[in-house]
Amino acid sequence: MAEYSIYLNGVLRRNCRLGSSNRGGHSVGGGTISVIEVNDLWKRFTIPHERKNTVLHSLAVFLSLRGERRFSFEEFWALREVSFVVHHRESLGIIGPNGSGKTTLLGIVAGILMPDKGEVKTHGTLAPLLGLGIGFHPELTVKENTEVYGVLMGISRKEMKIRTESILEFAGLTKFQDTKLMHLSSGMQVRLAFSIAIERNADIFLVDEALAVGDMEFQRKCLDRFQQLKQDGKSIVFVSHSLEMIKGFCEKTLYLLGGGIRAYGPSNESINKYLEDIKEGTLIPSQIVPT
Amino acid sequence: MGDLQHYYDIVVTLSKKDFKLRYRNSVLGFLWSLLNPLAYMVILTAVFGYLLRSGISNFASWVLLALLVWRFFSVGTSQSLYAIVGNPSFITKVRLPSFLIVLSANVASLLGAALEFVALFPVLIILGVRVTFLAVLLPVIIIMEFALIFGVSLSLAALNTRYRDFNQIWEITLQLGFFLSPIVYDASLIPVRYRFLYFLNPMTRLIDAIRDIFLFGIPPFATDYAIIIGASGLLLLVGGGIFHLLERRFAEEL
Repeated sequence: MAEYSIYLNGVLRRNCRLGSSNRGGHSVGGGTISVIEVNDLWKRFTIPHERKNTVLHSLAVFLSLRGERRFSFEEFWALREVSFVVHHRESLGIIGPNGSGKTTLLGIVAGILMPDKGEVKTHGTLAPLLGLGIGFHPELTVKENTEVYGVLMGISRKEMKIRTESILEFAGLTKFQDTKLMHLSSGMQVRLAFSIAIERNADIFLVDEALAVGDMEFQRKCLDRFQQLKQDGKSIVFVSHSLEMIKGFCEKTLYLLGGGIRAYGPSNESINKYLEDIKEGTLIPSQIVPT
Repeated sequence: MGDLQHYYDIVVTLSKKDFKLRYRNSVLGFLWSLLNPLAYMVILTAVFGYLLRSGISNFASWVLLALLVWRFFSVGTSQSLYAIVGNPSFITKVRLPSFLIVLSANVASLLGAALEFVALFPVLIILGVRVTFLAVLLPVIIIMEFALIFGVSLSLAALNTRYRDFNQIWEITLQLGFFLSPIVYDASLIPVRYRFLYFLNPMTRLIDAIRDIFLFGIPPFATDYAIIIGASGLLLLVGGGIFHLLERRFAEEL
């Protein structure tokens, strides 16, 4: 069992396993045990008005007498008071307009971003699929890129050697394995990335917008794959704008608005709330809190 | 233990990728990395060996040995400047200790430097370098230099993420370093009262060590090892500290 917790002061303590060594490892009996627990999560982003990201600029500002200009920035709560639980064998959908904090939330659960306050507990191995084709390079061949991305996604090199063939077959790219990636259409590239990413073995999958790729036939294949994972007892968290997909796939849905929870419950209810809000035109982007 | 295996896999894969890309337009890419030190050797030998009459015998091989050591350092550290900035998604989309990205870039440079050395070895032989049993010390020298490069690279990769013009500063620093190391002149030209300081420079020690091994047929001094290891250790500590300090803001800077 792997677990990590994040404490108030931002110090991260974790004891989390990467890799797929303990696949299907822990014995969770019923459907009531939680695999993800998120408690009162807050995340603040500071956006300086003037970015001092060069040495010269920093020096100039430091030397100038108008010191007050140095501290002008906006504070922006990307997440406010977010709590939820994902149980074993359960899938959660996360929806909301652009800038509502969906990706930030996923990043924090994945352990990539640190919250300013709150706690995340996960039980089981975690597979964050936050970006497709990370590390892809147009000058490398399909096969070479497959290895890089697979290893970055947490699949061991040994396993990649065995699985590359079936990955390329799933992507329908076996013929092109020695072709440079740049000769592939962007759709095919995403397809390849997705085929690699879902080879990752884990107990919990965090998926960001990944399903909106490929043609109809490939989307069908992907959904089948996730369905299979679900039947194998994996938990999946989906961030998506595809409400149909979420409705069909996730038992519960979290509707984020302006960094806070607007609705959280059975997918039908949350999605209806979202559709209502869209109809009434009450959606606002995340609240900017000037200081 | 599963983590360590994963980290090892990451470094192997990323450095392999990096290495391939540097020499992707394969034969030509590699040829250039050999032509560069050779061209410098010719230029420097013409200017310092003949024009300024340094009086050093076998100037060409003397300068080429130093150039190879210097190039490993300058290419290795320069490449590391972009390790983080050039791969934002490794920071924002993947959970992985970010120093591994810097380490991978360094390993790719190590492979490049080793290959250069091997490929240029015939040239060194022709120019009169003597190969004795002391050549077994070469890996030791290379590993010590690698530790030095890694320490510096950690600082550079982190600072260049925070301050995007840090590469400019480093470029100037490298120029300065080139002339603060005994590459084109002999260390005996340094005034005696500065010599103590001068010999604290680990690059001076590395260059001296490699010349001792391949030109003078003597093993490097214990003080050489001490200074190189001491400096590498210190720079690793400082680099690790800076990296650790700036690391938590990488995701927001990118």
